[in-house]
Amino acid sequence: MKIQKILLGDKMEKILQKKTLPDWVNKLKNYQIIAPVQNENHWDFQILSDPSRIKLDYKNTILSPKKFIFPQREVFFRFRSDEQSSYDLQENLPEEKPAVIFGVRPCDARALTLMDKVFGGDMQDPYYWKRRNATILIGLGCNHPPSENCFCTSVNGSPFSREGLDIMLTEMGDTYFVESISKKGEQLIRQAEALFKNPKEADKSEKKQLKSRAEKEISRKIPNIKNIPSKLETMFDSDFWNEESLSCIRCGICTYLCPTCHCFDINDEIKSNFPIEGERVRTWDNCQFPDFTMHSSGHNPRPDRAARLRQRILHKFQYFVKLYQTYQCTGCGRCVSQCPVGIDIIEILNKVDAR
Amino acid sequence: MAETYPHKEVIEKTSIYLPEVATLREKRPMTPFDTYFSFELRDHSLGHRPGQFAEISIPGIGEAPISVSSPPATDNRFEMVIRKVGTVTSAIHSLEVGEKVGVRGPYGTSFPMEALKGSSLLFICGGIGLVPARSAIKYALEHRDDYKNISILFGCKDPAQRLFVDELEQWKQRDDIVFYETVDTTDLSTYLEMSHMDLSYRGPVDEWKSKKWKDNVGVITTLFPKLDYVDPRETYAIVVGPPVMYKFAIMNLHDMELSDDHIILSLERRMKCGVGKCGHCQIEDIYVCQDGPVFYYNDISYIKGVI
Repeated sequence: MKIQKILLGDKMEKILQKKTLPDWVNKLKNYQIIAPVQNENHWDFQILSDPSRIKLDYKNTILSPKKFIFPQREVFFRFRSDEQSSYDLQENLPEEKPAVIFGVRPCDARALTLMDKVFGGDMQDPYYWKRRNATILIGLGCNHPPSENCFCTSVNGSPFSREGLDIMLTEMGDTYFVESISKKGEQLIRQAEALFKNPKEADKSEKKQLKSRAEKEISRKIPNIKNIPSKLETMFDSDFWNEESLSCIRCGICTYLCPTCHCFDINDEIKSNFPIEGERVRTWDNCQFPDFTMHSSGHNPRPDRAARLRQRILHKFQYFVKLYQTYQCTGCGRCVSQCPVGIDIIEILNKVDAR
Repeated sequence: MAETYPHKEVIEKTSIYLPEVATLREKRPMTPFDTYFSFELRDHSLGHRPGQFAEISIPGIGEAPISVSSPPATDNRFEMVIRKVGTVTSAIHSLEVGEKVGVRGPYGTSFPMEALKGSSLLFICGGIGLVPARSAIKYALEHRDDYKNISILFGCKDPAQRLFVDELEQWKQRDDIVFYETVDTTDLSTYLEMSHMDLSYRGPVDEWKSKKWKDNVGVITTLFPKLDYVDPRETYAIVVGPPVMYKFAIMNLHDMELSDDHIILSLERRMKCGVGKCGHCQIEDIYVCQDGPVFYYNDISYIKGVI
């Protein structure tokens, strides 16, 4: 316990009146404030131009906050090359202000801990880590499943999972139950300590009840998920992938919306032809696109949609498990809800189990 | 085990995506599609091992992973033979001597030349697969006494697509190695039909139109029976070629009773980042750019669709 105290500080439990949330946010002057914003028929994480207008009464956002750590487009460096064959490079490491993201769903926070594995290791990705280390994540537990396709409890998650979060908020009537999870989170609460009250015993037990009720409300499940990785190992050549992928129109929305998908492309964009001036840019890429694996000779090791669907499922539930001992999926359900042709990863995995 | 495993070096740099600048020092066409390039880094050696690759980039066009074809060097030069197939490789082809490119690397595993000391080497190279293999072949020839028998089999589509023709001739003349080569066909009519294609060099096409090919004709596996007895216990096969070649080459090596841990191959996949992040070259749980491109076959034979 002592070590935990040194590492994490005192775990703080507080009560914050919902109406004073903007006051807390206003105290956090040194940070960019990012939170869900309503756009017509969906919510999306955005940098708030007026932080006092923060509102957390959304279900879930269309995209996870992954884009603030690993943006859809980012400039690695700028180059300039003239006729005298010079080649000047100017690195472009992120210099944004530190950020606090409010209202992160537990599945999306866990997803970042999975991205950490990919962008860490022997080859640290400096662009990713500069943002990651400068971002504080404030979670909002799910009292009710935000989507009918939520299945976090089947992939070792929970509506109140703390993995990857610095602070957890639980909605309780007119208040939030506020818990610090990391030292960074604790310091954020201390910046506006007067706004927070200590919880009563009744608050604590109410929070516990909310948690167990929320887990029960999740209706979509993969009961035998533990068997899936070994089953998948035997199914590489199965006709199953062909059947399941027949309706795929390779739009790639499943991986585009996925909070754990990390594949990217690197391209040059030019602003001037003479002298040549431009940027080397990283953009999200998508394993569901045919040219993702296409060699310039025309040979394609993953030649059809069956092979590409198989790659998406096997990467998340077999290869990633082998590499990192965890599924590369946190059960947010976005790929299921938004697929235009109804390809359903939960259904696919349950069919795999039944085979 | 570190010694016997294809070598992998941990690279310490601030940004893994920032290239260094190298200057093109020498350029000469080799085949209708392939050109030889010699690049020079400013103040240090590339530090590669045989079989590794580097990302070569042209500002405004982009990056492509290219095998290094020279053996490890102490000077700042390194050689590549680049086939003109995409936008980046076409742009590299249009470079003039003295112009600059970006270089990231070297990346990936290498042929375990140290661990193979004292063994016999059997190189099986198909077409442009000779490019990475040449790095290991030249290394082995520079350290000839470290190895027992050295045999090289080289096959390519037709006489006009032979690479490093001067060196092939030297290898043929040497009596301390065995060298056989073959072409799939002597028919060059496809080039004549390919008038729409932008061939970078017609030299060998014109040459072989008037000259008769007197060596072997047939796919590379037709060279296997020419080999004297290959002792499967002391021989390691190094296989580099187009995707279609691996299956048949491995079948033949199995017939010669080489076990999978005596077969070393270099795999080709579309790569982008070179550092195991971008996902393009993934096959199951391996990333070809980091875990490969050089593998012992027994380490990857379990993977479906690997070859």
